[in-house]
Amino acid sequence: MNPIKLAFTYLRIGVLNEMQYRINFFIQLLQSFISVATGLIGLSLVFGQVTTLAGWSRPELLAVMGVHLLMGGVIRSIIQPNMERLMDDVRNGTLDFALTKPADAQTLVSVREFRFWQLVDVIVGMVVIGIAFVQLKGTLGILQLLGFLAALIMGGVMLYCVWLMVTSISFWVIRVHEISNLFEGLYAAGRWPVGIYPDWLRTGLTFLVPVAFAVTVPAEALTNRLSGTSLLFALGMTLLFVILSRGLWRLGLSNYSGASS
Amino acid sequence: MTPTISVSKLSKHYKVPEREGGMKAAVISLFNRKYRTVKAVDDISFSIEPGEVVGFLGPNGAGKTTTLKVLSGLLHPTSGAVNVLGYEPTKRSHDYLRQVALVMGNRNQLSWDLPAIDSFELQRAIYGIPVPEFKKTRDDFIDLLELKDLVNKPIRNLSLGERMKMEIVGALLHRPKVLFLDEPTIGLDVTMQRRIRAFIKEYNQRWGATVLLTSHYMADVEALCKRVIVIHHGRTLFDGELSTLVTQFSSFKTLGVTLPNPEVDLSQYGEVLTRDGARVTLRVAKSKTSQVTANLLSDLQVDDLTVEDTPIDDVIDSVFTLNEEIK
Repeated sequence: MNPIKLAFTYLRIGVLNEMQYRINFFIQLLQSFISVATGLIGLSLVFGQVTTLAGWSRPELLAVMGVHLLMGGVIRSIIQPNMERLMDDVRNGTLDFALTKPADAQTLVSVREFRFWQLVDVIVGMVVIGIAFVQLKGTLGILQLLGFLAALIMGGVMLYCVWLMVTSISFWVIRVHEISNLFEGLYAAGRWPVGIYPDWLRTGLTFLVPVAFAVTVPAEALTNRLSGTSLLFALGMTLLFVILSRGLWRLGLSNYSGASS
Repeated sequence: MTPTISVSKLSKHYKVPEREGGMKAAVISLFNRKYRTVKAVDDISFSIEPGEVVGFLGPNGAGKTTTLKVLSGLLHPTSGAVNVLGYEPTKRSHDYLRQVALVMGNRNQLSWDLPAIDSFELQRAIYGIPVPEFKKTRDDFIDLLELKDLVNKPIRNLSLGERMKMEIVGALLHRPKVLFLDEPTIGLDVTMQRRIRAFIKEYNQRWGATVLLTSHYMADVEALCKRVIVIHHGRTLFDGELSTLVTQFSSFKTLGVTLPNPEVDLSQYGEVLTRDGARVTLRVAKSKTSQVTANLLSDLQVDDLTVEDTPIDDVIDSVFTLNEEIK
């Protein structure tokens, strides 16, 4: 079975079903606006005091906020729902069903859920990025755009890998739901460029929970401060995360024995 | 003919952490954890021919589900060899998984919020079933189980029985050659159990599928399985025809006697099981049945007398108790 085709089938059915619950669209829209509003208030508080923050100007930080919102939408629409379902499946023993299917188990557990309306955040994030870009009066070169997209995809993949690793822990420790709250807290820190944080936190946000790669690096690409070396480094990190998470997943799987005998 | 399923000297042992109750023990076990080995399956061997429907019986915790999970590739055996359709299930090769299905009566695989028809579509995608074949199988199954009006409703709005029927359709859409059914009728009412039983029988006959079934409802086993394998504490107690099991282990018959005078004490004739007004049921050793019947009829005035085989549930029960006594 072609994994892309499989993912697409899940996507299509997920969308068709969520379309029935239009109220969720408005709720999500409201939530997006609230987070944009609080973000803007935060920005104006900061720039009431200073003119730059760790070398970032106001419109540049608006771009960071936009990327943060966009990536948050990706997490909440695809990554988090799938990983939470995986945790439930491990706890209830229903993962058995996924494992008796003729498909790669990791692919299967990563594409089953899709929260369509959460994509509103992705759209709103893009709008915010657009506004920031207009304020920057910058021009978007093709290389810059490609760098931005590459950084965005790699950041998303890295976040997925971290989620998968954390979720794989549920093979040994059955209750890991609290971890998703912890993750949300750490991700919130990505609203600001990681450069503003003390060293220890910045290291954590770079290597443990790669919020730096998911938000700051794409924003850097957009604001013309990303070097090819950084991008290459991000690529290396992505590969490392992919390999590590796949390994941990397989180890967890071999340890899995179902919730009841 | 090569058997479809062959299991030889299969054992599956679990290591489970063990601690006594209380705070102190809990803290100690954080640092110094003691493990106990549980022999869920202990040296089981059997083989099943193509097209056979075999009942897998045993009390809770006997090792039935563990065996089914090993067969469907979910658990690695501690020792022993397992072969199904020429594959080693543990390797979970996609070619193997495409030909088998695992149905668990107490767990759902269909998505709670989706209508069944969408979940079926997902199954089609996963198994890569060609569309015309998929549609035909799906519609056949929906007809057979009378689900037509329900396939567009979200699963959460269905009754337990309706949901189970949907589960079975979903699990068999790829027309597996081997079915592992773990309590497929658990918690369902009699009518629904019958419907599901009839469907399994139909499926077995139409596609020549091999079925290994566990159930606590002996009616399922009687209706579907000529052969049964009885396991207890992870070991095989019996493997053979259901009828042999009954003659081998059922050494009693049940006599129903209706007397005009309900005061008469019948305990000298056999063990009194129930007494309901004028109707008394007695348990009598099989070898003495004719003697006791003759005595009853000559000694007393009897309005009605019936002789019945022990119900299959009681037979199974006596297999287990007998085994406990030997131990």
